[in-house]
Amino acid sequence: MLDGKIPAGPLEQKWDTYRSTVKLVNPANKRKYNIIVVGTGLAGGAAAATLAELGYNVKNFCIQDSPRRAHSIAAQGGINAAKNYPNDGDSIWRLFHDTIKGGDYRSREANVYRLAQVSNNIIDQCVAQGVPFARDYGGLLANRSFGGAQVSRTFYARGQTGQQLLLGAYSSLSRQIGMGKVQMFPRRELVDLVVVDGRTRGVVVRNLVNGKLESHAGDAVILATGGYGNVFFLSTNAVSCNVGAAFNAYKKGAYFANPCYTQIHPTCIPVSGTHQSKLTLMSESLRNDGRVWVPKDPSDKRNPADIPESGRYYYLEEKYPSFGNLVPRDVASRNAKEVCDRGLGVSATRYAVYLDFSDAIKRDGKDAIAKKYGNLFDMYHNIMDDNPYDTPMMIYPATHYTMGGLWVDYELQTTIPGCFALGEANFSDHGANRLGASALMQGLADGYFVIPYTIAPFLAKNGNSDIKENHPAFKEAEKSADSYVKKLLSINGNQTAGEIHRKLGQIIWDYVGMARNNKGLKKAIEMIKDLKEQFWSSVTVPGSDRDFNFALQKAMRVADFLEFGELMAVDALHRQESCGGHLNEAFQTDEGEARRDDENYSHVAAWEYKGQENEPAFHKEPLVFENVELTQRSYK
Amino acid sequence: MNWLINTFGTSIGKKLLMALSGACFIGFLLGHLGGNTTLYFGKEAFNSYAEHLHALGILVNIAEISLLTLLVIHVVTGVTLFFQNLGARPQRYAVSKRAGGRTWASATMPYTGVLILIFVIFHLINFHFVEKTLDNTIFDIVSKTFVQPEFMIFYIIAMIIVAFHVSHGFWSLFQTLGANHPKYMPIITRVGIILSLVFGIGFGLLPIFVPLIAS
Amino acid sequence: MTTEEKNINITLKVWRQKSPDVKGRLETIEARDISTDMSFLEMLDTINEGLIIQSKEPIEFDNDCREGICGMCGAVVDGIPHGPESAMTLCQLHMRKFKNEDIIFVEPWRARAFPIIKDLIVDRSALDKIIQSGGFVSIAAGGAPDANSIPISQDIAEKAMDAAACIGCGACVAACPNASAMLFVSAKISQLALLPQGKPEAAQRAWNMVNTMDDCGFGNCTNEKECEAVCPKKISIVNIARMNREFFKSGFASQVL
Repeated sequence: MLDGKIPAGPLEQKWDTYRSTVKLVNPANKRKYNIIVVGTGLAGGAAAATLAELGYNVKNFCIQDSPRRAHSIAAQGGINAAKNYPNDGDSIWRLFHDTIKGGDYRSREANVYRLAQVSNNIIDQCVAQGVPFARDYGGLLANRSFGGAQVSRTFYARGQTGQQLLLGAYSSLSRQIGMGKVQMFPRRELVDLVVVDGRTRGVVVRNLVNGKLESHAGDAVILATGGYGNVFFLSTNAVSCNVGAAFNAYKKGAYFANPCYTQIHPTCIPVSGTHQSKLTLMSESLRNDGRVWVPKDPSDKRNPADIPESGRYYYLEEKYPSFGNLVPRDVASRNAKEVCDRGLGVSATRYAVYLDFSDAIKRDGKDAIAKKYGNLFDMYHNIMDDNPYDTPMMIYPATHYTMGGLWVDYELQTTIPGCFALGEANFSDHGANRLGASALMQGLADGYFVIPYTIAPFLAKNGNSDIKENHPAFKEAEKSADSYVKKLLSINGNQTAGEIHRKLGQIIWDYVGMARNNKGLKKAIEMIKDLKEQFWSSVTVPGSDRDFNFALQKAMRVADFLEFGELMAVDALHRQESCGGHLNEAFQTDEGEARRDDENYSHVAAWEYKGQENEPAFHKEPLVFENVELTQRSYK
Repeated sequence: MNWLINTFGTSIGKKLLMALSGACFIGFLLGHLGGNTTLYFGKEAFNSYAEHLHALGILVNIAEISLLTLLVIHVVTGVTLFFQNLGARPQRYAVSKRAGGRTWASATMPYTGVLILIFVIFHLINFHFVEKTLDNTIFDIVSKTFVQPEFMIFYIIAMIIVAFHVSHGFWSLFQTLGANHPKYMPIITRVGIILSLVFGIGFGLLPIFVPLIAS
Repeated sequence: MTTEEKNINITLKVWRQKSPDVKGRLETIEARDISTDMSFLEMLDTINEGLIIQSKEPIEFDNDCREGICGMCGAVVDGIPHGPESAMTLCQLHMRKFKNEDIIFVEPWRARAFPIIKDLIVDRSALDKIIQSGGFVSIAAGGAPDANSIPISQDIAEKAMDAAACIGCGACVAACPNASAMLFVSAKISQLALLPQGKPEAAQRAWNMVNTMDDCGFGNCTNEKECEAVCPKKISIVNIARMNREFFKSGFASQVL
């Protein structure tokens, strides 16, 4: 049984009590501690900057050429906070409750409440940094309703809120780099977490420019390395997003929690051919005015504009009369899959549905629609070479966010002492489904306002790590990473890592995707095992390990995904219920909704690595709900 | 005074020097053109303008020294910037295309600048550093020069080059000084073009006009 | 409906350079059956997959989000950074903009301040250095006043956002005939000079960032507007004018030096 170390006391006071009673590190002593932060997204960048502001010495690593490029940058919609500026009834409690409910009651009450509490500080902090949030005519911050929330609590900066928040964190980070408090190491990828005597001692990273392996010892390691959506091959994630760091921590003893929880975003540009490298997300705000439909007759090849109302199946509006096109992400995605599986899909691949703006254009005029969605329409036009003002858009769901991640306690510490996980890399706040505009909130909450407090007791209690880079453990780690790389380069087979990744993605999408069943999951596990063997016998990686070699990076990431994909399926198979982003076809309500089994599965499933050949060990953290009542979600 | 040297020593400081000296030259050109228009009214008008100008005495010397100083600043800064800019891209592109910002005038500023410098030296030798007497008035010198076709063509080409240089230089100096506002920039750009046309035509017609009235 | 997918054959003249200090050259690569629905980077992916199978080294290029926001990708395509389409990053450029039998030149960003790492990959850390010297508001987490305590007019917020949209790709430097970074620097100086939060340290910021920019070896601005023309986020040179003002204020009117 896992202990989340949740502070005692009433929900509203847990965080305050914790902050007031937790052990601190003396200001003069902070500079004696070296903290390693891996990742420079909202969580990592904010954490590195804030810890340096407090006086710690920070080493910060990122995979891109600059900390400003972390994939948080691609978030479009906005960031939630319980400011209640619009006076529409929002409160910390309501934000907490919506987030818990949105996560289908599979997240921790205490974490989510803390998230809602610090959400307001985030907005203050970002505005002070110079983040140009949208404002109303009076000059105060503007809010919008997002993702079907009943209050307007989403702050935004045009369609690029993630970018602006990330650049805010990047600016704070840059300030600390300039002052010498943060040492920045770009173009580095974590290859090993070094654990000695049950404590994290540092990391070995690979310099992507010259291939050298570099050891860095530290007193604590923070992993803020994002999600694992790229296990699907096609996702809205960036090319370099990978599971490597988290998976390495898992192999070193950190438990991996709920890997089967993935979010499939309903409004993405559909797959058009095998050359495709990624899927592009379009803001879900499009569903505010667009109507989703497919032709009733699958053989109807007419131009969509020529299909009369009677020939159209507005499946969301028909099935969910009160929410219509605005049902939550998981429901919208699942229904798109369902109609396409029935053969009703459109486009050459038949895996797409129409998102039609003709009624909205008729009602509000083309200009009004262009003002709201102009940039999205342009983006669509550019990618699809098709004008959405004249013909309906085609959309299809795509993997977007992963709720699962490294198991952490209330202090965001993994099961390896001294190793912390932040942001999308941990599992803690979104349960089985994440609400719109709350990923940015969580990343920044973890980085700016949680880890600066929760890292202190670990350091205060354990003091400095006495192991430096010259310790045999580091040499050992470098050596094994080196031979791993050499092994990949020596296989010289006939398949590229990219091809194998694509095959893996297809398996995951088909059997561990939006709707799962036990038979499929078992099949997927076997297929992934086969594919893993194929990889290690037939992959080909050109070039050398001593200069920039993307093919090698790619192969290393695919190798991790192959092992991780199996873990996802194992977890999905374990969870004999449906909840949020995890739908097992055997567990549905009569209305086709996810049917939870609160009696048996109201827990976090955390997996412990037991070696290549063995099944991972299952650990359970029961979820205790003292403050909210568990109900069946319904969007009829 | 370190702050002054430091400020002018930066990239933007040097731009500022170019802009301010360029602005002065535009002012000078306007004055010069104003004076030279007397040529269109014939020999007497022009000679009397020259007389009045030289009657200013010490003021003329001050103006000359100022112009020379500005010239040194404009040329030295311009040459420094040119070589710095050249060094900022040691390896050129195999294919280089304009994306839509660059104009012929902007692309050739350093070269038109050098040509104008050569012209100015030539022009001064021609008209400034020559003995002027009652028999050989400034008008006589000018008209004798312009009846020679090679001189006429040389001067006309020089004026077209000046017009080019000014057409980019005028709006550019406002931009450098920080005066770029969506409301006013279109006007400034237009004024720059009008000004360059005025200089080009105003000065450029003289080499054609003077021989006509002199004969 | 999307237009009929069709395939084209193209010839790439692509810059290959093994490492920073060896000489590079343009290599000719024939690419057959390139679908016009591919993005430019997907075209490179396809060529690379072919090269890998032949045990040849693929063309290295920087890229990440592939949706035009991270600023990681970029190459000079036929003489224009990010290619012929305006307001677009290279990852958003599609092959339907090219014709069958086209010869396409692909070169890395070229500037003294951006040394080449390999092939099309350059080191843009100079841009980070400039930000580190002043592209921030000196505020530590936790000390911020309420977000609505200072109203900011919509007009100012929008202008700040226009400047803040910069993705730091470096196309402005690549396009500038002088390899100047002024559009990049001015975007950050403008954003923070416009907002009340950035005003207290505006003078110091302008001074530090401009001097760091000079130290990094970028060229000088000669107002040629090529930067604005290639900027994928349409950052205007109005920002450069504003940066100049901010710089003059710091040089002539403040106590910064």
